[in-house]
Amino acid sequence: MKQHRVIRERISVLCLVFLSMQLDIIAQDIPSSPADSLITVGYATGNKKNVSGSVDKITEQEMNKDQITNPLEAIRGRVPGLTIQKGNKGTNGPAALDAVRLRGTTSLTSGNDPLIIVDGVFGDLSMLTSIYPTDIESFTILKDASETAQYGSRGASGVIEITTKKGISDKTRVSYNGSFGIASVYKSLKMVSAAEFREIAGERNISFLDLGNNTNFLKEIEQTGIQQNHHVAFYGGSDASSYRVSLGFMDRQGVILNEDLNNLTSNMNMTQKVFGDFIKCELGMFGSVQKNHNLFDYQKTFYSAATFNPTYPDHKNTETNSWDQITNASQITNPLAWMEVKDHEVSSHISTHARLTFNLLDELKLVMFGSYTNNIVENSQYLPTSVWAHGQAYKGTRKMESLLGSLILTYKKSLGKNFFDALALAEFQEETFTGYYTTVTNFGTDKFGYDNLQAGAIRLWEGTGSYYEQPHLASFMGRFNYTYADRYIFTVNARADGSSKFGVNNKWGFFPSVSAAWVVSEEEFMKQLTLVDNLKFRMGYGLAGNQSGIDSYTTLSLVKPNGVVPAGTSQVVSLADLKNTNPDLKWEIKHTFNMGADIALFGNRLLLSANYYNSKTSDMLYLYNVSVPPFAYNTLLANIGSMRNSGTEIALGITPLKNKDLELNINAHITFQQNKLLSLSGSYNGESILAPEFKSLTDLNGAGFHGGYNHIVYQIVGQPLGVFYLPHSKGLVSDGSGGYTYDIADLNGGGVSLEDGEDRYIAGQAVPKALLGSNISFRYKMVDVSVQVNGAFGHKIYNGTSLTYMNMNIFPDYNVMKGAPEQNIKDQTATDYWLEKGDYVNLDYLTVGWNVPVNSVKKYIQSLRLSFTVNNLATITGYSGLSPMVNSSSVNSTLGVDDKRSYPLARTYTFGLSINF
Amino acid sequence: MKRRSVYILVCLVLSFTQFSCDDYLQEKPKDKLQYEDAYDNLANLYLNAVASLYTNIGGYSDSQGLQGTGRGVYDLNTFTTDEAIMPTRGGDWYDGGFWQGLYLHKWGVNNDAIQATWEYLYKVIVLCNKSIEKISEFKALHNDTELPSYLAEVRAMRAMYYYYLIDLFGRVPLVVSSSTPINEVTQNSRKEVFEFIVKELQEAAPLLSETHSNKPGIYYARITRPVVYFLLAKLALNAEVYTDNNWIDGVHPDGKNIYLNVGGKQLNAWKSVEAYCDSLTAFGYGLENEYDTNFAVFNESSVENIFTIPMNKNLYTNQMQYPFRSRHYNHAKAYGFTSENGSSATIEVLRTFGYDTGEVDPRFDKCYFAGIVYDLKGNVVTLDNGTVLEYMPWDVAVDISNTPYEKTAGARMKKYEVDETATKDGKLMENDIVLFRYADVLLMKSEAKVRNGEDGDEELNSVRSRVGAPLRKTTLTTILAERQLEFAWEGWRRQDLIRFGLFTRAYSNRPQLPGEENGYTTVFPIPERVRLMNPNLVQNPGY
Repeated sequence: MKQHRVIRERISVLCLVFLSMQLDIIAQDIPSSPADSLITVGYATGNKKNVSGSVDKITEQEMNKDQITNPLEAIRGRVPGLTIQKGNKGTNGPAALDAVRLRGTTSLTSGNDPLIIVDGVFGDLSMLTSIYPTDIESFTILKDASETAQYGSRGASGVIEITTKKGISDKTRVSYNGSFGIASVYKSLKMVSAAEFREIAGERNISFLDLGNNTNFLKEIEQTGIQQNHHVAFYGGSDASSYRVSLGFMDRQGVILNEDLNNLTSNMNMTQKVFGDFIKCELGMFGSVQKNHNLFDYQKTFYSAATFNPTYPDHKNTETNSWDQITNASQITNPLAWMEVKDHEVSSHISTHARLTFNLLDELKLVMFGSYTNNIVENSQYLPTSVWAHGQAYKGTRKMESLLGSLILTYKKSLGKNFFDALALAEFQEETFTGYYTTVTNFGTDKFGYDNLQAGAIRLWEGTGSYYEQPHLASFMGRFNYTYADRYIFTVNARADGSSKFGVNNKWGFFPSVSAAWVVSEEEFMKQLTLVDNLKFRMGYGLAGNQSGIDSYTTLSLVKPNGVVPAGTSQVVSLADLKNTNPDLKWEIKHTFNMGADIALFGNRLLLSANYYNSKTSDMLYLYNVSVPPFAYNTLLANIGSMRNSGTEIALGITPLKNKDLELNINAHITFQQNKLLSLSGSYNGESILAPEFKSLTDLNGAGFHGGYNHIVYQIVGQPLGVFYLPHSKGLVSDGSGGYTYDIADLNGGGVSLEDGEDRYIAGQAVPKALLGSNISFRYKMVDVSVQVNGAFGHKIYNGTSLTYMNMNIFPDYNVMKGAPEQNIKDQTATDYWLEKGDYVNLDYLTVGWNVPVNSVKKYIQSLRLSFTVNNLATITGYSGLSPMVNSSSVNSTLGVDDKRSYPLARTYTFGLSINF
Repeated sequence: MKRRSVYILVCLVLSFTQFSCDDYLQEKPKDKLQYEDAYDNLANLYLNAVASLYTNIGGYSDSQGLQGTGRGVYDLNTFTTDEAIMPTRGGDWYDGGFWQGLYLHKWGVNNDAIQATWEYLYKVIVLCNKSIEKISEFKALHNDTELPSYLAEVRAMRAMYYYYLIDLFGRVPLVVSSSTPINEVTQNSRKEVFEFIVKELQEAAPLLSETHSNKPGIYYARITRPVVYFLLAKLALNAEVYTDNNWIDGVHPDGKNIYLNVGGKQLNAWKSVEAYCDSLTAFGYGLENEYDTNFAVFNESSVENIFTIPMNKNLYTNQMQYPFRSRHYNHAKAYGFTSENGSSATIEVLRTFGYDTGEVDPRFDKCYFAGIVYDLKGNVVTLDNGTVLEYMPWDVAVDISNTPYEKTAGARMKKYEVDETATKDGKLMENDIVLFRYADVLLMKSEAKVRNGEDGDEELNSVRSRVGAPLRKTTLTTILAERQLEFAWEGWRRQDLIRFGLFTRAYSNRPQLPGEENGYTTVFPIPERVRLMNPNLVQNPGY
């Protein structure tokens, strides 16, 4: 407690020191130029030139323009080191939340999402659904330690700052953006048809139930999705005030039956100056209501649709008025019956913030900021009796409230060629997570769905519950930036964060960072080289703490209800410890070193930027395996291991043609990334904790895969996170009766054994080694064409779909893939036979736009733009499965494995209209 | 003037930040309780330190629970024997070779289920240690008369879990404190732990009630004195196995030379068994007139059941997954459930029961479904294509993929009366799961007598005549056979085979492993990952 009291005192002293400076200096006029635009980097407002770290700013012109319904899609492929994985559950449905990684996975406890800040309001990825992409003015992406250090622990995995459009001090304007699109499937898995099915069963003398139809169930569950977006914004103002109000509506249908999403968003903000320029008051509010109809268990959906007997009908059985099922195929259900499962989600989000800026003196400003966010997600699910014996309904609500307050004091001063600015910050945040849920079964009829829970007879004790969690964060920070002659830049940050989640003695962590930059192009000797517009070298080192992925209350010895027991003559709920506690839990720290260079040549026609980063996460928070006994449970949340991440990012921007009528812009960036899990062993409480050598991350699912040797992706110390550790198959070998099995190599002598540590080897990694993003845009007069290309290389994908569907042993209970009867493999042992390279290049979209000339109607219409976009044009890859774009970035149970979960490939064709009055 | 007011404003603002951060960062959970609130009075102490341990006796997820769930204690004692088999049926039940591994005794040292079972058994022991410490702390401040019996009950539960540990793993660490550091967790010999268990149970017994705990009442489903005596009888019966510190050297202790102190007298193992069995008879347990009463939907009134796992579909989370695991899909559908079509009886079982002969044991029909199946209304169960479902018991093998009876081979589990109102496909049923019952007491006594050179006919034949089976002469062979006939599907087979020295022999579809005659497979390996985390543990011989 002494520690942070001292820090507080030091910061107060620092501030008072600045206050007492009595120098009479005139603030320097800072000129601006393209590479020099004014940016808000964290809490400091400065110029890009004065920034000593790596900051990417994407403005509206640079954003992926059309047919984007999620703000993140606007910057996909534009930022080196940023991976946006469609859907963090591996799903490509319309409501899927993207998984975002900035510079790789650096923590094992899932605290890997970058911090999202919208107009100063802190939030996570789910907050992005409340922002309509057209409302965004710019993205600022912070990656380096010294920049993210300003946000402390929440920014440990990078920061994406979004600034929404504000009002203007001009007459009221109105703008409308709309689009209409169609999504349709162009490629899905090829399974054996009904005719072929009968032929093969006949040839091999296998009996099956033939109901006489010819159904392609994969096609039966598809639909053509219609999508439309509308957005209206009003903005305007006067000298002292400005405002902007907008309303957006999005309606997207997915390509699978019953999947859709609609989202209503609203964004309002206004600025008002009071007492002349003394106080500036900004108020803002944004919110959304999103309703989703999701696919419940999309793995089961696609598995069932692919393998259901094609001779079954596409309608209900006319006698029983219910869907026919195959009782022998216990892992799948009739996919059309599965389409009757309801999984609906309503998410309401509202966020308000207020900022008061006091211009106390010319150089001194005080900012008071407060924000409140309230998010409620309501889930309702119903499994009808046709797919789940006796039916089951689930209803649950999750609420998240967040209250944040901060005080910032900034001081800027210029003394001749010296410019310095200093900042002091105090911040407090309180989040409250509550929720409740209930599950009811034994429905007599499906007609109520989940709308009347009293229609179900049984409510089990473990199916109902509620919870409460309230973590607190407190922070203090001091930042000092010094620039000499616009040439030499030096920044120092000192931040102290305290979190309620850690042990009594470890709540506070101290995270300093330092960075420096040299703008060579400002040097006298460089001024003659007019060729070079900008040449800058940067370097920095910093520490960041991380605690966002862990739950609260893990350091206290607590008991929770663990069951109902007969006690005395009644049944009572008893309490017990349900996990091991670690009272010494503390901050996880990431040490990052980065350096880079920016160069701009030929009048900013050639831009090149290169960055190198190397970070080590130590005291890594993770659920470590511990020995039972003496622990009661086999995992313990502790700070033990360490991990290293490093990479190089190279970004190139060329504008070979630029004149009134013609413009050609080529942007490309490539990122090389490496990751290594250094250690998971260490000491806890004086004892040494040794990690198991092999721990599986991802397993295969489906018939015959439960337990046993179905582990595919492992976490192995000394390797990148997520490696394939598989037996080696030398090929197919005949089993003596016409079929083939996988010939497993005996790698370590002593007979073939599939155990961990025996005949397995490390066959590749699941996370790409290199990422590519490129955008080419061409403009001729008023027409422009833009193409976005993304790619990933160096990784592998396990084709679990083919492993399952090519196994003839499952026939005829489960259907097989086209080509399976000919190959006649009768084995589903998981070996490296189906481990394939995952390299791909994907043509993300192609947009053609026309800025309609409106000079004649300038009085009414300021601008008008029509566009046509095609999404998901094509994917170039050697991967034999449906799509190589599986989860290759988030370390969870779906990493690196294509296991019957992939959506069919679909293209979206959209017409867009954008008009400003 | 402006500057001074600015200074004042700034200092005021900064002073706001000087309030106490410590209180702000302190955690105040509301959906969980601190220890002070959970163990504050006698009723809460009983509920949270004693009764809450019983949620671990049953279970609903893999490897948790003594019976009712898969890949745990029950499966390790059943599918590794000649009593049951889980054949690979095409795409189903291969599970990476897990079930084949169990049947063929090739389970391997990295077996997930063996590790999960080890961790489950020790979890309960560490929780018992914590409970003992909590009760002792409370006892130091209060002197309620119930406290010694609470302590005794938790000690008895802990001893019971150590019994399962030495039965499965041989040499295990004896941990009696919840704060033992890792480097002090070292293995003790099988005999040491055996003696500890016997001592704990003998000290706990007098403090426990004599009530029949399978009946509803204040001691429902709890460890009472009869349960402890049953365990002591079991321990004495297996004393030759449990006091053998080196089970692969071919030399085994003789039960006649192992002495236990029973009620002040030094009795040899077999006499000890008899003494404890007689005590159980004195407590009023007896054979039910009908075998089925013990496994009925409402079997709480049985006079034969000694220790059961309580089942209540609305309240308790304990599940009974075995009938669900065994039945064919259409068979379960006829009951309104779904199922997994897996576990079956072996060919040895069919021979022991005399299936397909004129003298099939009457218990076959109570324990197994074979041949044509009927639903609860008496209709024949049919397959999807209309043909009649017929189980083919003789066609089982380790892998029956692509054989004509791939889905229908094997005699399936019956035993427990079908609870039509059961939920979760029959897994949440009202029938209490039977762990210990009186028929075992009689057969234990019969066996102890025969091993001690006396006549065990009376007890064996009372069990046989209850079901109407013809009387038999009692020899070790007929006793082993009787235990299979009486306790099919009850999880005793592995222990019985080991005691009779027949666990490692070859039988249908299971050749003897090279080196197995020395008996190394009678004990499971210490899980390799556990040994990695605690290098003090030495692997069992042969692995």
